[in-house]
Amino acid sequence: MSEVIANNEVASAPVLIQQMDQLSSQGARAESPLYHADLASVAREGNQNGGVVLQEVALLGHLVLRGNINNAGFTSGVEKVLGMALPGSLQSAENGDVSLRWIAPDEWLLVVPGAQAFSIERELRDAMDGHIAIVNVSGGQTVLNLSGANARDVLMKSTGYDVHDRNFPVGKVVTTTFAKSQAVIRRTGEQSWELIIRRSFSDYLWLWLQDASAEFGLTVRT
Amino acid sequence: MTQQNRLQSGGRIERNKPLTFSYNGKHYKGFEGDTLASAMLANGIDVVGRSFKYSRPRGIVAAGPEEPNAVLQLGATEATQVPNVRATQQELFDGLVSNATNGWPNADMDLMGYVGKVGGRMMPPGFYYKTFMYPQSMWESYEKFIRKAAGLGRSPLENDPDTYDHLNQHADVMIVGAGPAGLSAALQAARSGARVLIADEQSEFGGSLLHSNELIDDKPAAQWVEETVAQLSKFSNVVMLPRSTVNGYHDHNFLTIHERCTDHIADKAPAGQVRQRLHRVRAKWVILATGAHERPLVFGHNDVPGVMVASAVSVYINRYAVAPGKELVLMTTNDGAYQTALDWAAAGRKVTAIVDTRANPQGDLVDAARAQGLNIITGSAVIDVQGSKRVSGVSVASIAEDGSRVTGSIQRLSCDTVASSGGWSPVIHLSCHTGSRPKWSDDVIGFLPGDTVQKQLTAGSINGEFGLKGCLAEGTRAGAQAAINAGFEADADAVPASAADVKTGPAMALFHIPHSQPTSRAPKQFVDFQNDVTAAGIELATREGFESIEHVKRYTAMGFGTDQGKLGNINGMAIAAKSLNQSIPETGTTIFRPNYTPITFGAIAGRHCGELFDPKRYSAMHKWHLENGAKFEDVGQWKRPWYFPKAGESMQDALNRECQATRESVGILDASTLGKIDIQGKDAREFLGRVYTNAWAKLAVGKCRYGLMCGEDGMVFDDGVTSCLGENHFLMTTTTGGAARVLEWLELYHQTEWPELEVYFNTVTDQWATLTVSGPNSRKLISELTDDIDLDRDSFKFMDWREGTVAGVPARIFRISFTGELSYEINVQANYGLHVWEKLFEAGEKYNLTPYGTETMHILRAEKGFIIAGQDTDGSVHPFDLGMGWCVAQKKPFSYIGKRGMAREDCVRPNRKQLVGLKTKDPQVVIPEGAQAVNDPNQPIPMTMLGHVTSSYYSACLGHSIAMGFVRDGLNRMGDTVYYPLADGTVIEAEICSPIFLDPKGERQNV
Repeated sequence: MSEVIANNEVASAPVLIQQMDQLSSQGARAESPLYHADLASVAREGNQNGGVVLQEVALLGHLVLRGNINNAGFTSGVEKVLGMALPGSLQSAENGDVSLRWIAPDEWLLVVPGAQAFSIERELRDAMDGHIAIVNVSGGQTVLNLSGANARDVLMKSTGYDVHDRNFPVGKVVTTTFAKSQAVIRRTGEQSWELIIRRSFSDYLWLWLQDASAEFGLTVRT
Repeated sequence: MTQQNRLQSGGRIERNKPLTFSYNGKHYKGFEGDTLASAMLANGIDVVGRSFKYSRPRGIVAAGPEEPNAVLQLGATEATQVPNVRATQQELFDGLVSNATNGWPNADMDLMGYVGKVGGRMMPPGFYYKTFMYPQSMWESYEKFIRKAAGLGRSPLENDPDTYDHLNQHADVMIVGAGPAGLSAALQAARSGARVLIADEQSEFGGSLLHSNELIDDKPAAQWVEETVAQLSKFSNVVMLPRSTVNGYHDHNFLTIHERCTDHIADKAPAGQVRQRLHRVRAKWVILATGAHERPLVFGHNDVPGVMVASAVSVYINRYAVAPGKELVLMTTNDGAYQTALDWAAAGRKVTAIVDTRANPQGDLVDAARAQGLNIITGSAVIDVQGSKRVSGVSVASIAEDGSRVTGSIQRLSCDTVASSGGWSPVIHLSCHTGSRPKWSDDVIGFLPGDTVQKQLTAGSINGEFGLKGCLAEGTRAGAQAAINAGFEADADAVPASAADVKTGPAMALFHIPHSQPTSRAPKQFVDFQNDVTAAGIELATREGFESIEHVKRYTAMGFGTDQGKLGNINGMAIAAKSLNQSIPETGTTIFRPNYTPITFGAIAGRHCGELFDPKRYSAMHKWHLENGAKFEDVGQWKRPWYFPKAGESMQDALNRECQATRESVGILDASTLGKIDIQGKDAREFLGRVYTNAWAKLAVGKCRYGLMCGEDGMVFDDGVTSCLGENHFLMTTTTGGAARVLEWLELYHQTEWPELEVYFNTVTDQWATLTVSGPNSRKLISELTDDIDLDRDSFKFMDWREGTVAGVPARIFRISFTGELSYEINVQANYGLHVWEKLFEAGEKYNLTPYGTETMHILRAEKGFIIAGQDTDGSVHPFDLGMGWCVAQKKPFSYIGKRGMAREDCVRPNRKQLVGLKTKDPQVVIPEGAQAVNDPNQPIPMTMLGHVTSSYYSACLGHSIAMGFVRDGLNRMGDTVYYPLADGTVIEAEICSPIFLDPKGERQNV
């Protein structure tokens, strides 16, 4: 349960960082940012052979990692817990169902299975030293997988960043403008891309992606 | 209708694919491969519009984007109306509906024509400026008249049914133009492996080769084009864009391309297709291979339908199999135009005469014409044209060797078509877009691209290289060079495709053909057809003292039409230069701006229209708000519930009910949109002390504190509550609209001023749903949904926060209040926001839990005198002006942003405007926000204003209106009366009071 309460019981140790398992242990209904769009129905009843395929990977654990790359207490902690090194600039790394994205010189985005967000945060904090920060943003954003023969065309409509093979190989990740919002864009395969978008902009981007895909046909998968 | 001008064979049209189109309500036939202009000429349509000022009939003169007259209104339905389409660039499709733009009432039978003829003399250049300027109040009616008569086309009255979009392109080498130079360049660049983008405005690649009789590599030019395009299409690193006009060349090799994807199919795009795209290109290197436009000559009545640019006649014959007449007189200053006479003769039509302004023309084409026995009249010019709606003949006279005057007698020749060529003007428009000043070349007799700061090469006719062989060579060289410059390996010495060496004699630099009368008395000699600018008009302008070419342009309106002077500007400059007795380089040129040709608003807007015009941001509970009838208010990009009216309620009724329910029982507000910033690090507390005006050193874990943020100038720019989550961990809240700015502000100071402080800032605005439960029953309500948080008033005090579970969901509860009531802000991970919201309503029914929006929030906080940053502040007030000196610490060990600003002389002087409460004498009257206070409402205007009302509402709870506003020295004037004179003449009287109207001791929030 609560770290604050747990820590308060040990009067001698002051609370430095409030850690909080944000998941309901009582099975409360959780709604991803695109819950209202009822993508399951769209997937069932909509176009099955579109040139663009969209899938929301809902309710994953999203953790922002902040730290200095020269701080061994930070970098080794990541390696120890996640079994992979922090990716360099504009790169990403994966280990099983855990993936890490470079966001900025002192910032990475870690995505883990939803239920593991808190335990991984705790393990990382235990394994790390020095000036670091970890922030759980699992409720503030969502993952979209964009794939298909025309996925790149949709990206070209949406971002000024060069998404050509030569500039955007598989594994690369870029945080940039997307339509009039923003996205963390990662290339996950020859014809597949991952977009991480903010909750409050998700409806706008869902409308945008439908519109931008219209000429190619949009297939939604669950 | 028969196509009387259609040739039996030849051309690039599909004779087995006939198409039907209409012009001014009449139906005609054409073929696939036609432009609207070629089909009109095939059908013998001479008059395509009426001129701007004199309403003279006008016909097609050109075959490309420089066409000034065939500017038509397109569209079969109201929604698909497109104004000002150049018929020369519009591909014909079946069912195309076109109308003349500027005929009033129609092009053939024109009332204005009568007025124009009578009134012509009364409309010299500057006529509109001189005549319609006064009185100014009449300008609107003048404008309507002028616009209608001027024929600028009309926009549709219904919404555009089509979709448009933008595509971001990146290229190593961007090539503009797919004629011989552009295609040669593309081939070399493609072979290097560079990413090549090549765009051309025509329906197919080839440029001038599409109507050329020349051979390339011993094959017909068109075959070379076909093979080259086929070759290019095999490269995966080449993107080819036909029907795509490069409309703008901007800084840093950023180019915009207007692609017309379906305009050749129908006037509405087929279902699911995009009508037009705007490509936004970032190129490492750019090659301009934009070619050249042929310049017509300026001579008497040179606007009679049937007078055309020489090369356009060749285009219509060779590419479209249309001979636009029977008997041709060609006037030329150069060899190149002889090709038109040869093409005309080859089409089986009669060449009446070739009138060459040069005394002794010499060259291969001249020889070819002589060999065919064509009648060549040298040292002469066409000085006048006969005919009104179609040429019937010309007057030819010999001229002086320098072209300055007529020297011989006039002979009349009969003909129905006049082609003229004054040489070629390189298409330097894109080069000019980048700020490069064009340079005059006496050899080329035209302006060439000037020095550039862009990574740009030029090739072909744009450089004044008008021969095919030279164009192929220049293109080949430029393509390789651009690829090398972009970091690829290419063959700098690659051999270009071969073409014949055509020997040409020198051309004559002549623009304005003399007449036996002085220009002012000669028949009208048109320079700019769209705006009816004549040679006499330009001379008049210079006589009236306009010497700068930019002024001449504005005074005469030369180049102001939708064609932007592509055809006439150089002639106009030459005439101005001659009239001013200076050279063309001394006179200079006007320069060109984007866009090269007109572009639809749809393409500019792309997908950023309608629902997608601007992002709408929603909270996790938005669906509930919709289902419960909320009216929404825009707060930044957020859609926030404004109020929740019940059936039959007015807005004020709803507000009264929401306010009273909250004060009497319990209300709930979705406060998720407040900016939230997670702050971690051992120096977090120190950092807060430096950016807020108050002290943060002693805020204990579990406590919250309100803070004011000021700029360096000491002026308040944001406020909010920040909570201590751990010794090294804080959660800051900001105003909804200020969230991004505050985060940037913190980062700015951290990165530039205090990088030594160990602290990280992260936005968590979207991470937490914030549910604000407020009112005397809020504790009872929340206690029903939590069993692990002690809500006792003595253990969970005002300005404390606790962690626990609400409705089965981990939550942070902050006991803070923006209403002055007992109030709890519940934060849960946004995925659970709606769940917890609904559970609160399930439990809250018995307490009449009432949702309220931003308007009730505003009233409730105003009753308590709480400010809203951005409403009660405007960047010119410091905390003391707001009566919030209590929120400014005087003894912090480290300074803080705004401290010195607040100490400036102007900030500590007496008589500043200060925020006070205002109670109206008539309790039912609400002062309009923005109203200005005065001491004496009877003083003469302009009155001395003391400050404005910032927040003003009717308070149902108090039974009277309440307001906050600025009054000079207001904090020292409690009890005084001020007056608010309104625009309607009434005056509202109000008493200055404390802004805290309700519960000044704060007892309600401390229960």
